[in-house]
Amino acid sequence: MFTIFNQALRRWKWQIVGWGSSLLIIAVYLMWLYKPMVEQQAQLKNLFDAYGKEMLSFFGGTVDIFSAGGYLNFAFFSYVPVAIGILALLLGSGLVVADEEKGTLDLILAHPITRTALFWGRWLALVATLTAVLLLSWLGFAMGLSWTGLDTTAWQVLLPHISLLSILILFGTLALFLSLLLPSRTLAASVTGALLVASYIVTSLASVNDTLEPLNTFSPLKYYQGGSAVNGLDGGPLLSTLGIALLFGVLAWLLFLRRDVRVSGEGNWRLPFLSRKMKAPTTNQAMLW
Amino acid sequence: MGDSPIVLLAQGLTKSYGNVQALRGVDLEVRRGEVFGFLGPNGAGKTTTIRILLDLIRPDGGTVRVLGLDPQKDALAVRARSGYLPGELHLEDTETVETILKQFNALRGRKADWTYVRSLADRLGLDLKTQAKNLSKGNKQKVGVVQALMHRPELLLLDEPTGGLDPLIQQEVHKLIGEAKADGATVFFSSHVIGEVEQLADRVGIIRKGVVVEVAETQTLIKRALHRARVRFGGGIQAPALEGIPGVSILSRSADSLTLQIEGEMDALIKALAKFPVIEFETERPSLEEIFLAYYER
Repeated sequence: MFTIFNQALRRWKWQIVGWGSSLLIIAVYLMWLYKPMVEQQAQLKNLFDAYGKEMLSFFGGTVDIFSAGGYLNFAFFSYVPVAIGILALLLGSGLVVADEEKGTLDLILAHPITRTALFWGRWLALVATLTAVLLLSWLGFAMGLSWTGLDTTAWQVLLPHISLLSILILFGTLALFLSLLLPSRTLAASVTGALLVASYIVTSLASVNDTLEPLNTFSPLKYYQGGSAVNGLDGGPLLSTLGIALLFGVLAWLLFLRRDVRVSGEGNWRLPFLSRKMKAPTTNQAMLW
Repeated sequence: MGDSPIVLLAQGLTKSYGNVQALRGVDLEVRRGEVFGFLGPNGAGKTTTIRILLDLIRPDGGTVRVLGLDPQKDALAVRARSGYLPGELHLEDTETVETILKQFNALRGRKADWTYVRSLADRLGLDLKTQAKNLSKGNKQKVGVVQALMHRPELLLLDEPTGGLDPLIQQEVHKLIGEAKADGATVFFSSHVIGEVEQLADRVGIIRKGVVVEVAETQTLIKRALHRARVRFGGGIQAPALEGIPGVSILSRSADSLTLQIEGEMDALIKALAKFPVIEFETERPSLEEIFLAYYER
């Protein structure tokens, strides 16, 4: 499993560098921006008052954006799950199926490794990659603390990152599960992406519209603390999110154990409206039998 | 169990893909130390059979034993002792050949001797420093051959091993297969190139539409098949005298010669011909290709 973990991490090193360094730069920039914002507090308050509360709900609602938690939420943690969620769902949907669609999984699995080791080794590499990206983000904020007047500590800034990590693991694992259930990686990534955006919209608007609350109960981002986690992590939602992620992981693992590994060019099942195409095998399929 | 004389055993293997039945009850036995050629056209079920042997896909029915083990229950042991070359080889494009081979070796617990890997690469004319994305189909196939052989497995499962290779490298791969056999390995390879099977295989299995229709020693299969003979007579054709010989039929005739088809031994025919002035007598041994085609024409 360690070999699989290492190889997956090696493959994703540039994602870690690219996404991590981008977040680090954004974090440093946001910390630098805090002081000038506080200095123009009065003008900014007038400006935000002019916006509708529906608009502000997408940036963490109407909390005090000049507090540590409020600022971090407004400037970063309110929208970043959608941005980094793209990385999580791309990695998750491709964890196993990308190799299958490229045709390389066949040969990997012909080596003496169990499907369980391959699956969980790569899943752990996914968690490690997301953790590394968020650690670089945290490093950017931690570095900025020395010159900004933000009333918080490096440890406190780490807490919303942990909440964010749990959400990213959830969406990454959901994408993995869907990639083993749906006909293609692209479809799995698209469906997960749509669910992520829908969750963001529902949870944001539910803070200003009570009628959305029943729907919001099923929205993963409802259980995401965002910047407010600087005041302490809420263990219940965090563990629930990770628990559901693990459940999707176990379901995906069970699907993978029973899966007929496809070779490049072979199709999986197709959607009903494409069923006519199923009757005849493709040339590639016929060649491979 | 490890010394079982039967290295591969398949009984009643069935497998469907949707509505298409790829295997309809495959029965096979491959003996320890032999080179077994699995012959069939595209779509006959060769690849499906091989992939079931490694538990890459699961059969719908039937029994499989590889090296005396159930590949579904003992996949690790089966794969550790096997080398596999897929029919459609795809590699990680961003890596060099050396990195790819090292990654495969890591999955095998770094058991390959790297000096041997280099010598295999040299013999096949494969540059280890080249990036996979810059490799031609033939060069990718060479990587596949090296990774299948590099840990000196006791069982080689090769799906179309010489596909995409030029004739010189094909000969080198044939030599490597011969050397593996000499070292005690069992080789099971699929091919639709009949000359290759005829050259390499001790025994051959012919698969047709998901069923193994014939398994025999390669030479026996060739010998057992129909022969063809052309006889030129000195004093006009003597067809009536030959018509009653069991197993002999006349395919065509000209002014002074006959073309005959003989099933089985030629003894009776030769004794009958001895009574007449024969100027020329030519026989043709059928190639495996003709035998193969005969199975497909049935």
